[in-house]
Amino acid sequence: MSDGLPPQRRGPGSFVRSGARAEKPKDTGKTVARLWKTTSGARKGFGWVLLLSVLASASSIFSPLIIGSAVNSIASGNPIAALIAALAALYVCDWLVRFLQAFFMAAISQKVVLRLREALFGAMKNLPLAFFDLHQHGELMSRLTNDIDSVSTTLSDSLAQLMVYMFTIIGVLAIMLASSPLLTIASAISIVLVYFLTKAVTKRTRLLYSDQQRFLGKLNGQIEESISGINIVKAFRREEDMSAEFEAMNSDYCKAATQAAIISGFLMPLTGVINNIGYLIIAVSAGILCAQGRISVGLISSFLLYSRQFQRPFVDIANIYNNLQSAVAGAERVFGIIDEEPEPIDAPGAIELKKPRGDIEFRNIHFSYDPLSPILKGISLKVPAGTRVAIVGETGAGKTTIINLLTRFYDLGSGSIILDGNDLKSYSRESLRKAFGIVLQDTSLFGDSIRANISYGNRDASLEEIISAAEAAGAHAFITRLSEGYDTVLEQGGNELSQGERQLITIARAVLAQSPILILDEATSSVDTLTEQKIRQAVLMLSSNRTSFMIAHRLSTIRESDMIIVIADGQIAEMGTHDELVSFGGRYSEMYQAQSGE
Amino acid sequence: MKLILSYVKRHLGMYIAAVSFLALETIAELLLPAFMASIVDVGIMGKDISQILRYGAIMLAIALAGAVGAIMRNVLSSRTSQLIGFELRGDIYKKVMSLSFENIDNVKPAAIITRITNDVTQIIQFSQGIMRMILKTPITCIGAIALLIIQTPRQFPVMAAILAISSLLIYSNMKIGYPRYSILQSKLDRLNTVSREFLANIRVVKAFSAEEIESAKFQDAAAGLSQSSVRATRVLAVFGPLINLTVNFGIILLLYLSRSQNASEIGRLMASINYMTQVLFSLGNISNILNNAVRATASANRIKEIFSENPAQQDGALVGGEAFDGTVSFENASFTYSGASRPAVENITFRAEQGESIGIIGSTGSGKTTLVSLVPRFYDASEGRVVVGGHDAAETNMDFLRRHIAIVPQKALLFTGTIEENLRFGNPSATGGDIKDAAMAASAHDFIESFPQGYNSMLGQGGVNLSGGQKQRLCIARALISNPKILILDDCTSALDATTESVVLNAIRSESKEATVLIISQRISTVMRCEKILVMEDGLMKGFGTHSQLMESCSLYQAIYSSQIGGKAYV
Repeated sequence: MSDGLPPQRRGPGSFVRSGARAEKPKDTGKTVARLWKTTSGARKGFGWVLLLSVLASASSIFSPLIIGSAVNSIASGNPIAALIAALAALYVCDWLVRFLQAFFMAAISQKVVLRLREALFGAMKNLPLAFFDLHQHGELMSRLTNDIDSVSTTLSDSLAQLMVYMFTIIGVLAIMLASSPLLTIASAISIVLVYFLTKAVTKRTRLLYSDQQRFLGKLNGQIEESISGINIVKAFRREEDMSAEFEAMNSDYCKAATQAAIISGFLMPLTGVINNIGYLIIAVSAGILCAQGRISVGLISSFLLYSRQFQRPFVDIANIYNNLQSAVAGAERVFGIIDEEPEPIDAPGAIELKKPRGDIEFRNIHFSYDPLSPILKGISLKVPAGTRVAIVGETGAGKTTIINLLTRFYDLGSGSIILDGNDLKSYSRESLRKAFGIVLQDTSLFGDSIRANISYGNRDASLEEIISAAEAAGAHAFITRLSEGYDTVLEQGGNELSQGERQLITIARAVLAQSPILILDEATSSVDTLTEQKIRQAVLMLSSNRTSFMIAHRLSTIRESDMIIVIADGQIAEMGTHDELVSFGGRYSEMYQAQSGE
Repeated sequence: MKLILSYVKRHLGMYIAAVSFLALETIAELLLPAFMASIVDVGIMGKDISQILRYGAIMLAIALAGAVGAIMRNVLSSRTSQLIGFELRGDIYKKVMSLSFENIDNVKPAAIITRITNDVTQIIQFSQGIMRMILKTPITCIGAIALLIIQTPRQFPVMAAILAISSLLIYSNMKIGYPRYSILQSKLDRLNTVSREFLANIRVVKAFSAEEIESAKFQDAAAGLSQSSVRATRVLAVFGPLINLTVNFGIILLLYLSRSQNASEIGRLMASINYMTQVLFSLGNISNILNNAVRATASANRIKEIFSENPAQQDGALVGGEAFDGTVSFENASFTYSGASRPAVENITFRAEQGESIGIIGSTGSGKTTLVSLVPRFYDASEGRVVVGGHDAAETNMDFLRRHIAIVPQKALLFTGTIEENLRFGNPSATGGDIKDAAMAASAHDFIESFPQGYNSMLGQGGVNLSGGQKQRLCIARALISNPKILILDDCTSALDATTESVVLNAIRSESKEATVLIISQRISTVMRCEKILVMEDGLMKGFGTHSQLMESCSLYQAIYSSQIGGKAYV
């Protein structure tokens, strides 16, 4: 809590690292150089602010000297008007410099924050889906929020602070040495002591902090789970057990945290105490020297003031160094994300896909997320334009994977997918994705108005178009029942609606996007069959003359598809219309019988 | 603030002790210049080295006393604030566990979690800050000024003026800074929301090629945050140096007023200047105080929201020992969610005999889940009665009631731990055999055995390493283990393919013949196997009877039937 350090704002997830020892960056020089490059343009004026910082140290360096002279003058009865005027001028300059420094620094450091944050988000948004599937979202979030904050504010503030301190130390040391080498040595004793104390304490706290983090992780995990699953806890009457488990972890954590806090807390008060002892050493030794007439009274005064000026930088520098280290480590993590391979850029001369007919051919496609367990093992399939394709199969059979490949969320292992006579890769990715209207089982809604949510894929849509899309999806009725109708803001990202209602909105969204090829991935699994029937009608209307892919568990959903594909073990097991497959008597007819209860 | 104070009060003794030691430490620091003054005035002026050493010894004693104070206040403040955090966490947790479902709907689990974790941490830091640093500033100021006045009474008016100006500046700083820091906090929340949504909805963002839209949203939020950051920190940029200047001018005034002072009092002058610099340094902490206070107050307010929830239900007096059969009977029961304008279920009347299976079908949002939630008293009927096991549910002890009822929720939720521990959740005293039987009935045994560690396989948080269907089967097994008199299956087979579902449902039936089973399903084939079927629409019961009865009498049921089975009804 030393002053001059940036206010540390914390978002979710950050508690994990708060109080932890500074992490060590891997390559400080390289990271700092890169930071310098990345923020060029955003840190205009930073040099001036650093210069101001240097000026700010002038008051620390010279004011004790002037005060000492003033004391001498008073002691010897000389006039001090000139000295006081000089001191006043120095203080006013100090005020101006500090004000300007802080005032401009506020803007510059935030500009840097903004630049870094936008750079990170800019890189993140272009990363392939695989990246997001692999990384915990909470972790990515703290990159976007806390890491960036700590990186830029710490770096800019600490750097300025470091400049002040360095000049203060050098200046003060020079003056002290020039005035009295003996007293300088006396002042240095306390600094050496503080250095060893800091070392001893940090060595012990490192272990304690890692203990604390471990217990905190366990405790937070327990809280997260038991609270998000509280309905189950209550249904099975496990409140007492959960509370007991929580109490135990809570108390473990409390013990570890108290210990860590006590040991690390020794640093500051003991530093203060050592400084007090340093103060008394100066007072006594200076007193003796003065009594012997070897130094003036004013010099005692200067030295006592210097000893205060001196101690602070030394205490803080250790702190600043730690902060700088963790900021650089944070920057490395940020750059780590920026350096991730983005979705490959479109090949030169990529074709802009416009109004595709929807002829699709899969040519012997293979794919695996993990080389050890291939998901798709040679799928070949011709889908003429306008075909309504249904894909069925057990969980994990690879149904969604086919969709992921078709939309180029993931790129093929081997084989190729041909759309309207060209390989998928020859189209620009954006135009390709615009060709697909996708409805997923996980309804992804935004904390925005329903209207904005529906028009997500088509921002320019008029309210009439939005309403007619909602009507086509069967969502209009319930939307108008909401208090604000289409302007109702989904404060909790849609959690205030039922699963079915959320799904209807996402369907309306796909309807409005008017994409030539439709993909419904378990889109109606969580709505009832009557609602589904309404959606089906909308979808049927939409999918007439459009190629569509539908994944469903409920076979009634897909019955009148033109082509039903049964995927098993990464391959096409059966293929045909509903009637053909039922009379074929294979997997499909088995599944159908089980579902219809026949 | 009140909330924090109420916890401070519980440890008032330790708190006061900590603050006293802090005072001891601070006073020791302040007294040093006073004795330094004596060294100068008595020792140096009198050229008496033994006096210098004598005062030096006194200073050493004071410094050591200060050390004791510093160490003690550190131990005490660490312990007290961690204890406060410990109790606060425990109290929130207990409170949450005691809340009814209705309360939890209000507060939202995600919000509760951040309150127990982040917000409590903020308060610990604040509480520790108070004892370590924050109170040091006023103690130093008051002490320094008191000593100044005692040593040189003439300076009183000057000191009073300096003090008044500084206080005014600090007050203005707080006054102007506080709302700006509050805005800053809300902008930070906004950035968090935007990032979270982007990450959670990444698939849709990519599918709609909406990266630029999200980018614009993010930039807007980030720019807002930066702007309010600048606004907040600039307050400090204005006031911090001004406060410095004020104190510095105090030093100048001191020197000016002492310009014609007797040389024998030079030590006191030096001490006075020293006090001023101490005041200056301690005021440097103002920014931290402000930050801390804003964050802690915001956190405390959020925590208070949880404490102010009153359990929506009263526990019934009717406890154990009494007979409990599997009958479920709704008598004109209605239920309205708090804040909703119309009932979620209305005027429901039906009766399920022990051992009967009741299928519940109806469109999304028609009130099926709400209906079954009234059985284990997740909610109490707002009108009418729900009689479970022969007792009016609203008057029955919840623990007793839920002991006989098992539920498999729509969302398959498992806990970190082994598969066995998860299954045992349904019945802590289940034997290995019970667990295996239940897993077999739920068609889970085979896939469990296929894992290298079998029943001892660890599940990640929420069971991430299982497929949806596997999770659902484990949830079913967990419910079966408690040997319930009433089993509620809330659309919990949606991720199972039809073949597996059919196997599971048959096994459940034969495993628990005595139990009354309520099955919510979207699939007509699933409810058709039940003895009776309840048809819901818009919170109302549209039909209750056997399949063949409903096929004759209930048009809604017929429509559902034909939508799923009756040929190409909608082409």
